[in-house]
Amino acid sequence: MSELPSVNPWLDPSQKPYIQIENVTKKFGDFTAIDHLNLDIYKNEFFSLLGPSGCGKTTLLRMLAGFEKVTEGRILLDGEDISEIPPHLRPINMMFQSYALFPHMTVEKNIAFGLKQDNLPPNEINQRVEEMLELVELSDFAKRKPNQLSGGQSQRVALARSLAKRPKLLLLDEPLGALDKRLREQTQFELMDIQEKLEVTFVIVTHDQEEAMTVSSRIGVMDSGNLIQVATPTEIYEAPVNKDVADFIGDVNILRGIYKGQNDVGTQLHSDDSDSIVFATQEVGASTGDEMWFAIRPEKLEISKKKPKNQHNILKGLIEDIAYGGSFSTYHVRLDSGRILKAIRANRVRTEEHHLTWEDEVYLHWEPHSAVVLLS
Amino acid sequence: MSSNQRTQSLLKSIFNGRRAIIAIPYLWLLMFFMLPFIFVLKISLAEPIMAIPPYTALLEWGDSLLPSIRASLESYLFLFSDSLYIKAYLSSLKIAIISTILTLIIGYSIAYSVAKAPTRWRGILLMLVILPFWTSFLIRVYAWIGILKTEGLLNLALMSIGIIDKPLIIMNTDLAVYIGIVYSYLPFMILPLYANLEKMDISLLEAAADLGCRPFKTFWTVTIPLSMPGILAGCFLVFIPVMGEFVIPDLLGGTKTLMIGKVLWTEFFYNRDWPVASAVAIILLALLVIPIMLYQKSQEKAIS
Repeated sequence: MSELPSVNPWLDPSQKPYIQIENVTKKFGDFTAIDHLNLDIYKNEFFSLLGPSGCGKTTLLRMLAGFEKVTEGRILLDGEDISEIPPHLRPINMMFQSYALFPHMTVEKNIAFGLKQDNLPPNEINQRVEEMLELVELSDFAKRKPNQLSGGQSQRVALARSLAKRPKLLLLDEPLGALDKRLREQTQFELMDIQEKLEVTFVIVTHDQEEAMTVSSRIGVMDSGNLIQVATPTEIYEAPVNKDVADFIGDVNILRGIYKGQNDVGTQLHSDDSDSIVFATQEVGASTGDEMWFAIRPEKLEISKKKPKNQHNILKGLIEDIAYGGSFSTYHVRLDSGRILKAIRANRVRTEEHHLTWEDEVYLHWEPHSAVVLLS
Repeated sequence: MSSNQRTQSLLKSIFNGRRAIIAIPYLWLLMFFMLPFIFVLKISLAEPIMAIPPYTALLEWGDSLLPSIRASLESYLFLFSDSLYIKAYLSSLKIAIISTILTLIIGYSIAYSVAKAPTRWRGILLMLVILPFWTSFLIRVYAWIGILKTEGLLNLALMSIGIIDKPLIIMNTDLAVYIGIVYSYLPFMILPLYANLEKMDISLLEAAADLGCRPFKTFWTVTIPLSMPGILAGCFLVFIPVMGEFVIPDLLGGTKTLMIGKVLWTEFFYNRDWPVASAVAIILLALLVIPIMLYQKSQEKAIS
C-alpha cells in the first residue's frame, strides 16, 4: 500500500484542486470516448486511471497532454484553462507506453531534448541531464543508443526524459506494461520514491489493478467513458460502489439475492445459493423484495472441514480446484446450488495433514461485516 | 566412411536446397551483369579497326601454346586527352546532382502528404504515383515535347490567359532536361520515401511536441533524421540512372546539353569507336561504384 500524504487533500474542502477536469466530453465521430466527465486531482497526488481497454482512460490522458482536443468542457491546470493550449506549450510531460525514445539520439541527447527546446544554457542542460541520469541510475549508459538498451533501461530513460523539464504534471501511459513481473514490482517502488522526491503530480493510466493499488494515492475506476468510482485503493477494494468495480479490482465472490429487510445482525438477503438467509452488517436503503448483491473477497471467506460454530453465513460445498500459490492457496468450492466460490487460505502449516484436498466436503463462512452490500 | 558415401555427402552438401536458392541470384548476376561487364571491359582494352566486330581481339593465338595478350589503355588515355569527355562527365554529374535534389524536394513533399493522408486514401494516392509507369517511358518523354515546345500546350495555355505574350523557349534547353528527368524519376524517389515515412512511429512526433518542440522544428530534428534511409535510397535510385541518362537529354535537351550517355551513344553509333565507348562506360561505372558502395553501407547500417 502506498504512503498517503500527511493530509488527504480531497477530504479538505479548503484545498484547491491542481487539475480540474470539468464536464469534459470527447467524441471521435459518432463514438463518445469520454462522456461529461468531472475529476479533481490535487497537487502531489499519484493518481491512477484504471479500467478495461477501451474505457477511455488513455483518451483522457491524451487530452491532458494536449494530443486530443476536448469536444466539450474544459481542463484547468493550477487554475489556468489549458484546453486550447497545444501540447508543445503545456507544462506537462508524458511518458509514453512505447517509451517513444528517439532512436537516432543517444540516451543523453534524448534526455536533453526537452531542455534544448527551452533554450537553456548548455552547462545547465548538461547538469540537468547528469542529475536525471543519476536519478534513474543510468550514468554509465549516457552514450548508448536506445536500441542498445534493455526494456527496463529504456523505461528509465523515458522516465528521465519526461522528468528532465521538471513538469508540473507527469502523465504515465501504462509505464510498466512492457516489463516483466519482478522488474515491474521493483520499478513501482522506484516510481513512488521519485514522485515523493521530486514532488511532481503523477497521473498514471494502467489496466493492472495490482499496480494501481500499489502506487496510487487515489484511483479513478473508469468504464465506457465515465468514472464509476474515485477513491483510495483501500476504499476501492473494501467498499466498491457496484459489481463492476468489485469485479474489476481483485477477486470477488458475488451472491445475488432478494432483500429481506434488516434485523439486529444487519441486512438480510435471501440468496439463490443458500437455504438460509445470509447477513451483512452494512445497512442500505432498499425495500423488501429488491434485488441486491453481497460481495465477499476470497480472503474473507473462511474455509474449513469442520462446521463453524457460527449461526449465520455458512455455505456447504465440495472443493473442485486448488490453486497453490506458495504463501496461500485458492480453493474453488462448488456449492450445492452449482455456483463456484473462491476462498483463499494462508498456508500457515507445512505438513500435509491439515491440508484440504480435491473433493473434500467443506464449509465456507464469512463474518457479516466482511460482506459488501451492492445495489447495482 | 566409404568413398562412395563421402562423394554422396559431398554432392548433397553442394546441391542441397538452400545452396540452390542462393545460387539463383548469383547465376543471374553472373549472366546479366558479370559477363556483359567483362565483354565491355575487354572491348575497352582493344583498339578500333575497320572490321566486324570493329575492334581487335584481346587474345591472339600465335604459334605458341599460350595466347599473347594485346591490351591497350589507349582508349582510356584518349578520354583524358580530350576535354570533351571530362566536361561531359562533370556536366552529367551536375545535372544528376541538381535533378536528384529537385526530385528529393518534390518527392519528399508528395511522399509525406501521402503518408499523412487518411488510410483509405493512401492506396489511391500511391496508385496515382505509379500510374504513369503504365505508359511507355518514351511516349511520356515525347508527350513532354508536345507540352514544352514553342507552339506547345504550355505556351498556348500561358499566352491564352495572358501571362506571357511571347512563347517561352524551354524546349532544347537544360531546363527541359531537368523537367523531363524530375518527372520521369519522381516515382523512384516517392516510393522508398513513402515506405519509410509511412511506418514512422507517430508517438515519436508526439513525444517531441510533448517535450516542447514546435511542429516545424520536430520535422527537422526528428522526421528528417529518421527518414534518412528512405532519403538515401530514393537519392541513389534517382542519381545513378540519371548519371547515364541518354533518352531525356537527347529528346528534350539542346545541342549544348552535354551528358555522358549522349557522348557514349555518339561514340558507339556515329564514330563506331567501340573501345572508346566501352572505356566511357567503364569509367562511368567506376564513378558510380563509389556512391553505390556508400548506399550499401547505409543500408547495412539501417538493417543493423
